[in-house]
Amino acid sequence: MATVQVSEAEKVYILHGVRDDLRVDGRGCEDYRHMEIETDMVSNTDGSAKVTLGHTDVLVGVKAEMGKPRPMVPDEGYLEFFVDCSANATPEFEGRGGDELGMELSNTLYKVFNNRYSVDLKSLCISPGDHCWVLYVDVLLLQCDGNLFDAISVAIKAALFNTKIPKVHISEDEEGGKEIELSDDPYDCMRLNVENVPCIVTLCKVGHRHVVDATLQEKACSVASLIISVTHKGTVTCVRKVGGGSLDPESIFEMTETGKRVGKALHAPLMELLQEEESLGKKRQKVGFLG
Amino acid sequence: MPTDTKRVRGPEVSQSPSLFLCKNAVKKSTAANDARVDGRQRGQVDVRSVFVRCGLISQAKGSAYIEAGNTKLICCVYGPRETERKDETDMKSGRLITDMRFAPFSCRERGSWIQGSDEKDLSLMLLESLRPGVCLQKYPRSQIEVNVMVLENDGAVLAHAVTCASMALADAGIEMYDLVLGCSIRQEGATYLIDPTLLEENGYNLASGSRENLGSLTVAFLPSLNQISGLQSDGEMGEDTLTGDVRTCIEGCFKLYPVIQQALSKAVRRKAPPSES
Repeated sequence: MATVQVSEAEKVYILHGVRDDLRVDGRGCEDYRHMEIETDMVSNTDGSAKVTLGHTDVLVGVKAEMGKPRPMVPDEGYLEFFVDCSANATPEFEGRGGDELGMELSNTLYKVFNNRYSVDLKSLCISPGDHCWVLYVDVLLLQCDGNLFDAISVAIKAALFNTKIPKVHISEDEEGGKEIELSDDPYDCMRLNVENVPCIVTLCKVGHRHVVDATLQEKACSVASLIISVTHKGTVTCVRKVGGGSLDPESIFEMTETGKRVGKALHAPLMELLQEEESLGKKRQKVGFLG
Repeated sequence: MPTDTKRVRGPEVSQSPSLFLCKNAVKKSTAANDARVDGRQRGQVDVRSVFVRCGLISQAKGSAYIEAGNTKLICCVYGPRETERKDETDMKSGRLITDMRFAPFSCRERGSWIQGSDEKDLSLMLLESLRPGVCLQKYPRSQIEVNVMVLENDGAVLAHAVTCASMALADAGIEMYDLVLGCSIRQEGATYLIDPTLLEENGYNLASGSRENLGSLTVAFLPSLNQISGLQSDGEMGEDTLTGDVRTCIEGCFKLYPVIQQALSKAVRRKAPPSES
């Protein structure tokens, strides 16, 4: 991850501030930075979203392709995640430098979505055992300013909401072979139910308290963070401790509680916003990448 | 992407026959109150008994072998060695490098020799779990390599890898704050299965419990300091269940602690020169 060098005096300043629930930019310990979300930015994808959280910029594109279902679960489709840390974000990511971080992010995403309820995989089935929809979720990191997991999870939820999968009919032809027909109408598509898609909250332990949405400077003062992914009902789908430090069990319980509270509160406004954006339809002003 | 050109792997479309056998075995559903397949109880802190031995590999600085049920792991530690890359952080403290691999014959289906993303993920988790326990500031400009090889995977692999690796580090004489012990738990509805076997980890029976609470959790714990150095959970769980499971894993680690300590003291006595009397 891109790191900044923080001096001892700066560390003490940040620690004392967090202790009094006042961070360097004036936020409280549980406040997020200004977040901007825009969907349907990339026309070649089936769904896309761009999220800007402070200076962190994440672009997610979802493409639906037909593939063979996994042998153990023939009546379900699946999702494939890939995170690419572009060299635009920091020079450390040039060439293969960003691969390690990208792999860590993808593996965590697989764990977050590895349960029965996040995405209804049965709706992605076309014909059991033969064809299913595979959703390739590709995440591109454009700018890195801390708190990548949160931005990525919000972007994935927005992109999945925006995904339009074409409706497919299977018909049998004369020799008994199956023929797949795509409907001619470009608006005849199926949408995904993203109610249960979880959002990730990263909590960094700074001093004796924990902060949500840490900046790079705050991250440099913390030894350990907890990543918790929460659905809108408050169910936890993945918890993971990252960083080279250790945490007290009591802190972990406190952080889980905070994470669950913050995560739960994130879903309702997000869904409202996405639906509002969708309802604007053609009248929506596209901000794009330069806004 | 490195490809394996030395081994003949068979045609791409071939499938292992075990995929077709599996389905019948899983269908046998057991009621929630039944004992587990190997005789242990559900809902109780009943970890598998472990067999541990240190100092098996003569070439390595330190090594350990652990057997828990059918899960078999071996770990060796090399170091402290000089670091290849020298950047600023290395001047003040050492570096810990972990590598966890599965032998191709360790799982039900033959794995490949090339490290997949699962193995990289497990190596990273192992690193994060071990780092708080090792006094790296005593080894500036050095690196300590920990290599874990899974010989047979019968569940709870990461948890036992953490335990094995910390024993190997202690056997190598690396200074540590405390041993790091790992424990794994599988939550199924209302009951939990501590230290699950592979079948228990992957299968689930729909008869027991509600739609909620189906997941696994692995905890790495430092018993004397009461600190959690590694935590990873999967699947869906309510927050209270999660908290309860973490506490149960900590109990499981405490149960394991005396066994590991005994094994280490035996190993030290074996290595020590015989007293002259």
